[in-house]
Amino acid sequence: MMRMLVRRLLATPMLLLGIVTLSFLLSRAVPADPLVSIIGERQLGDPEAVASAQARWGLDRSIPEQYAIYVANLVRGDLGTSIRTKRPVARDLMDRLPATLELTLAAMAIGVSAGLALGVLSARFKDRAADHLARAFALIGSSVPIFWSGLILLHLASVRLGWVSGAGRLDARLSPPPEVTGFHLLDALIARDVTVLADALEHLALPAIVLGWAVVGIISRLVRASMLDVMGQDFILMARAKGASEMRVLTHHALRNALLPALTVIGFSFAYLITGAVLTETVFAWPGIGSYAVASARALDYPAIMGVTLIAGLAFILANLLTDLSYLLANPRIRAA
Amino acid sequence: MVERNAMLRRSSHGLGGRLRSWAIAAGAAGALMLGTADHQANAAKDDRLVIAIEMDFNSLDPARTFCIACQIFMTGVYETVVEIGPDNKEIKPGLAKSWDVSDDQTRFTFHLDPAARFADGSPVEAKDVKWSWERLHNVKGGAAYLADAIATVEAPDPQTVIATLAAPNSEFLGILTAVNLAVVNSDVASEHGASAAADADKTDTAETWLLENSAGSGPYILAGYKPNEELRLTRNEKYWGKKAAFKEVVFQHVPNPVAQAQMLESGAADIAMNVDAESATKIHSADVVVRPVSAFNIVHLSLYPLGDEHLRDKRVRQAISYALDYQGIIDATLGGKGDRLVAPIPNGFPGTSGLKPAEHDPEKAKQLLKEAGLADGLKLLAKYPDIKPFGVDLSIMMQKIQQDFAEVGITLDLEPLPINVWREQRNAKKVAVTPMWFASDYYGSGQAVPFFGMVEGSWHANFAGISEIPDLANKRLPDLYAKALASTGPEQEKLFAEVFEEMMSDVIILPLMSPKQTLTYRKNVTGMHYSVCCNLILPELSLQ
Repeated sequence: MMRMLVRRLLATPMLLLGIVTLSFLLSRAVPADPLVSIIGERQLGDPEAVASAQARWGLDRSIPEQYAIYVANLVRGDLGTSIRTKRPVARDLMDRLPATLELTLAAMAIGVSAGLALGVLSARFKDRAADHLARAFALIGSSVPIFWSGLILLHLASVRLGWVSGAGRLDARLSPPPEVTGFHLLDALIARDVTVLADALEHLALPAIVLGWAVVGIISRLVRASMLDVMGQDFILMARAKGASEMRVLTHHALRNALLPALTVIGFSFAYLITGAVLTETVFAWPGIGSYAVASARALDYPAIMGVTLIAGLAFILANLLTDLSYLLANPRIRAA
Repeated sequence: MVERNAMLRRSSHGLGGRLRSWAIAAGAAGALMLGTADHQANAAKDDRLVIAIEMDFNSLDPARTFCIACQIFMTGVYETVVEIGPDNKEIKPGLAKSWDVSDDQTRFTFHLDPAARFADGSPVEAKDVKWSWERLHNVKGGAAYLADAIATVEAPDPQTVIATLAAPNSEFLGILTAVNLAVVNSDVASEHGASAAADADKTDTAETWLLENSAGSGPYILAGYKPNEELRLTRNEKYWGKKAAFKEVVFQHVPNPVAQAQMLESGAADIAMNVDAESATKIHSADVVVRPVSAFNIVHLSLYPLGDEHLRDKRVRQAISYALDYQGIIDATLGGKGDRLVAPIPNGFPGTSGLKPAEHDPEKAKQLLKEAGLADGLKLLAKYPDIKPFGVDLSIMMQKIQQDFAEVGITLDLEPLPINVWREQRNAKKVAVTPMWFASDYYGSGQAVPFFGMVEGSWHANFAGISEIPDLANKRLPDLYAKALASTGPEQEKLFAEVFEEMMSDVIILPLMSPKQTLTYRKNVTGMHYSVCCNLILPELSLQ
């Protein structure tokens, strides 16, 4: 296990370099100019203004030179300055990462627990009403466009019922808690600010439910299929024969063995949500990395695009590694091998 | 077998019963938690103003900003020497309490209010005005062109500013209401890397500092900024004028107009800046005001002869102008909530009264095409960005135009493009037919010719191919324009009317519509009106 871990860690920098290089080349291949984000439409007709902006942002250098400078800075931990926000990309990402992680973790908690529960329920009550309802619920979550379900839920919960005040991480009339971790929930707990904690939870609930609902489908389907396979095996019969309760049979014996295929999907869902929750972030005005990525792409903000790609690459590499580790922990047969 | 099945198939009561209990408990806890929030109480607080807006900030540096949210921000934090009145025409005192204008409209002398103070308490002086205007020009940012009219600025004493123009310009006072010409605390900004020197575009390094700090004299101060998340202003307690109504103003980034409308209805926001006419129809709350107002934005169709040989023939361009069903285009894209335009400048600007809008006459269009030897029709390609400027869906608009063209025998192929790609192609002069849009920087018709006129140096003339096709140049326009700028009152009206008739006769820029702006805000907000210079003026807002 240790050897596997070391091999993975050693390969990570090369993987990231490959991702960065590919992203660099693709972004430069787009037949468009980021100058409009720097000097605006009107000034594009002024050769002096154009030359000045190009020199200031290094856009007058050749592509290989720009690449070399970028990689040299990257090695020093400098991701460059965003053309759009005019701030260090690393700072932009660090500002947005807690929001993304907070939403993703909450969505995964909802999605995984609901997915597991529905998968188990479906398997347990196969072909009965509970199975059909659970599968329909999961299918709707996976099929309905997020922007639609998000807006509908927002309208119901905010305008009709008054349960939540609207989009964003926090009611704008409240001051955010003093930043310690960047997670509003944790920071509010640390500051013992119950009002902000309640408000942050309220704002987190809907987008987390919408996003979590989207992953419930695939997790529950996998778990259901896997459970059905496992529950037909002899050791389950043995467990029942020994007097184990139904709950124990399902959770301690069947689910543990049925979980392995779902771990891969859970891992990749998590990585995907880090940068892929764009629609949810747009509907709920959640200041995460997904919306930052889209805004950067639209503005051809090269440094920001590269930064987001790095984060996405890291997320997938980490998710992959954690999934493999969890396999080792969950399956003694792999450990022994 | 029976026993095995019996063991496998447990009674569902035990498991199902527990599940039901958990579900009820979870539901009760959730309802208890979520139901305790009192958002109407939050909405009633009058110490904070919340503006839901798609934050499109490119910078917070007065010399570099050029966006809608930027303008609103600037009105709160910085001030200009003169201001625009609520009627969007009258020039009022700002930092200057009075001014003198030479008869030939080239020398403008401003007398600053000795009470004017920056947020740090230091006096606003003539040197700061001179420094700010020179910096705007020399930093070469997005709005540098606004300072092009100024030849020199003198500050003979701390309260007097003398601006000498390169050429007569009776609209100079209107130009000075544009937020980018606001006055910055030169001492404070210079300490943090700002420069007004000729090489400021290379040496000025204050932009980063200005993302977290402000150096203005306005009723608000920048308190915090997180790109695409929020921007907060706090009241300037040392403000030299009327105290700001709010302790804090919060710009909250909400990119979706429907979500903005929902925030208004729930009371989470006081003003929503991006609710278009269609989304506004979904607002039913009696606490929300939905008010369409005429705005000073225009959407037009550009015909660039360099992009297609057929367009070099003026008769073809005239035919296109007659082919367009202008009212039909407004109805298709805005549900009728837009105004016909008479010139490539907003209605109500000097020179527009008395002019007639372009006619829709398909028969005339066909006749002109026949005279041009194109009785069998022609094929054109339109490239356009897939966006919605001022609420106008360009895809729908171009499809309507395609139908109008088809009626007169013109086949218009449509090529929607991502905006950056479209821009690149337009800048490379590879576009023949394209829609575009324009937002006024100030109240004044002088903006039209440098932007739309077929004269050397004009923005659109470049894309049309004025350098490559000299015949495109309108030889009457430069003189006429100079005379119009040098004149005032009725004479100026008459001259600008001639300017616009000349521009319309070139049929390069076909003005299509001026979309109405839909103001949406909670009914207890006062002072809401659309401003030509700045969209929204923060110091004028308060709660009843």
